Amino acid sequence: MSMPAAGAGARRGRDAEDGPGLAARADARSPGGARRVALSIARVEAALLARGVLVLAGLVAGGAVVWVFVWPTEPLWWNAAWQIGYGQVILAATVLAAAQLAAGRARRDGMRELYRSFPVSPATRTAGHLAALAGALPASVLLAGAAAILIQARGPIGVPSPWVLAGGPLLVLAAGAAGVAVGTRLSSPLAGILGAMALLIVFTQSGRFGEFSWLFPWTTPAQLGSLPGPLTGYPPGGAHAVELAGLAVLAAVAALPGARGRTRRRMRLGAGILAVAAVCASCLVQLQPVPTAGLIRLFGAGADPVAAEHCTISAQVRYCLYPGFGRLLPAVQAPVRGVLAEVPGRPAQVLTIAQDLSLSDVDQALVHGHSRQHLALWNAELTAGPTGTAAAIYAPVGYWPSTRFALALRTAEWAVRLPLPGNLQTGCVAVDQAREAIAIWLAITATRTSAAWLQAGQNVTAEPGGGFISVAFVRKAPVILWTEPAADYPVTPGGPQTTAVGFLLARAMTSLPSGKVESVLDRAWPTWLNWRTTDAQLAAALGIPVPVVHIPPGLSRPPATGPGVAPPPSALCTS
Amino acid sequence: MPWTTLVAGCAAGTGLLALLAYTTSQALGPNVVALTFLPAVAALAFVPRDPFRPAAQAAPAPAWLTSAGQTLLAVPVLAVTCWGQLRLMDHTAIRPPGVYPLIAELTGWCAVSVAIAAGCDRSRYADLGGAVAAPVSLAIIAITRYVPRIDRLLVTPPGTARAVTIAWYIVAAAALVIGCAALRDRWRRYTRVLRRR
Repeated sequence: MSMPAAGAGARRGRDAEDGPGLAARADARSPGGARRVALSIARVEAALLARGVLVLAGLVAGGAVVWVFVWPTEPLWWNAAWQIGYGQVILAATVLAAAQLAAGRARRDGMRELYRSFPVSPATRTAGHLAALAGALPASVLLAGAAAILIQARGPIGVPSPWVLAGGPLLVLAAGAAGVAVGTRLSSPLAGILGAMALLIVFTQSGRFGEFSWLFPWTTPAQLGSLPGPLTGYPPGGAHAVELAGLAVLAAVAALPGARGRTRRRMRLGAGILAVAAVCASCLVQLQPVPTAGLIRLFGAGADPVAAEHCTISAQVRYCLYPGFGRLLPAVQAPVRGVLAEVPGRPAQVLTIAQDLSLSDVDQALVHGHSRQHLALWNAELTAGPTGTAAAIYAPVGYWPSTRFALALRTAEWAVRLPLPGNLQTGCVAVDQAREAIAIWLAITATRTSAAWLQAGQNVTAEPGGGFISVAFVRKAPVILWTEPAADYPVTPGGPQTTAVGFLLARAMTSLPSGKVESVLDRAWPTWLNWRTTDAQLAAALGIPVPVVHIPPGLSRPPATGPGVAPPPSALCTS
Repeated sequence: MPWTTLVAGCAAGTGLLALLAYTTSQALGPNVVALTFLPAVAALAFVPRDPFRPAAQAAPAPAWLTSAGQTLLAVPVLAVTCWGQLRLMDHTAIRPPGVYPLIAELTGWCAVSVAIAAGCDRSRYADLGGAVAAPVSLAIIAITRYVPRIDRLLVTPPGTARAVTIAWYIVAAAALVIGCAALRDRWRRYTRVLRRR
């Protein structure tokens, strides 16, 4: 890259005693002249950075990463703002590499001696490279802005933290300053690539370090998306932004070469000390434990969610949502009402639909600094799960709308009197029971879900060459199962195990006119609820054939039982 | 032979893995080892380039000998790096996982990196060498890992260990063929001008 005119017209090869040349060199050495030169360099380098291939690729990749993390999850701002940072990490890594390439260009091209002959000092050139990092800010702001618009369009819960959102551009600036610092000393392109990869590796592995994960440039808080709201100091957005700013200043000071003059040396030393102090102070703040009162409220809300939630009763169903989640009410009501509207007669007891916490175990970053008694109590509360209310279905925070179908299916299973096991028990299997197919049909109809999504790679017909097959042994007979999609997102209680035949029959029912199915169900509803009423009877009443599922020869016998060999056999649903 | 670059890349990844092994109590899995092997793959992208190739082409010996020799010399260094990282992984795991798919994947990554570096050396970006080849290699590796449908063939899970191992050795073989063809190509290839002036 050709160096912009150093100073106001300094020319190479002129006689040193030439008057205009001397004046130009003197001007370039003056503070005002040096500033002008630095700004000129910054303008050119910023333009190169802003339209560089690396930065643009980082922007695209960062946007893709944000999309992958934000789109499938429930839009909770205290989690989504942090997820925007994942894309900023990708952009920061490419900015680091690009800044290192820019700062090391003079060395790589063998131009150091030439630049040394210029009146402008290396510090001025480096300051220009540092100021040029502003060229990366538009990409960072664009990424954050586009992600915020995407999240806002989905109707999020909560409000974004400006500190967390500001952390993204600060991270990009800090990474760029680190790139300049590396580039002024190591000109090989591999140095920038290694720096970028170190940033990415450290980011992906930061979750291993418990409460110290906040000290990394960015981290992936494991349970933030499962909380009903942010807690004081979790996440520590403000302190983290201060840490990133301190790191940026520290990297900038490290990038600048040794200063001439006592005043400049003192200024740089002072800036470095202030930056280190800011980083240390912010790290201490981030390591402070979350207040006990907040955690007691959080885990209490997990142990007895209904007591901590706002409840409304509508059509004999009680809907309970955590404070702040009120706008989800119509969306939660829709599948439940869709199911119950098709049910001719439902149980007398009131059904409760509530939220609960899906924290399987306590994150060390959340509970560090607290006593063992508290930890044991909170672990016990999480393990026990929600208590208190019978006839209740709990949808976990952070997974809506992925749990929509599961909620509808669980409601349908309650309506047809299928037994719902406790949280830790494996469900029974409703083999050859018409009520199972009816429950699945109710859920499909209420949520208008496509059959292809419901099948999701499963080989429900057990044909060779299909997807995976799930089998249970009921009274020593093999039964091909159908696993409901999004089964990773635990709606509790976890329903009976559903059979492939039941799913196929329900799928066939969806191709019939709904009026016909409803009239068949209305005619003999108590009969269909009886566990002895078979799939064949239902199929005959509807005038459709019973689906046939062939058992592969290798699965015809239950495997030998014993520790670590096979799961215990499943029970038949008989109530 | 860019020994400094290659050793720096291998040492950086191994050092990072060692730091993770000794500072966390959790076991290191194959994914972490794959991640920390990436610096070595990036360094490998700088190896095939021969800065004196235009002069070497005038010599009686084939010009590709230097690049091929440099690449072959890098193989034992990469093998030692891979061995060291696998030992670190074993050290932290109670029941070490099977490593054949991982070794196949790393072999495929190295072969792809060499092929891309050899291709860059035949393009208008020859002077930049590894500075272009390394990011392109890393981008292709990211695509194989995270793009749906491709990851079913090349990543466990969802692919099976046997299928993934075979797939990666096929990729490595194809990349080596392409790399050898690029090394032997005497001419730089530029895109044609599409508009007639």
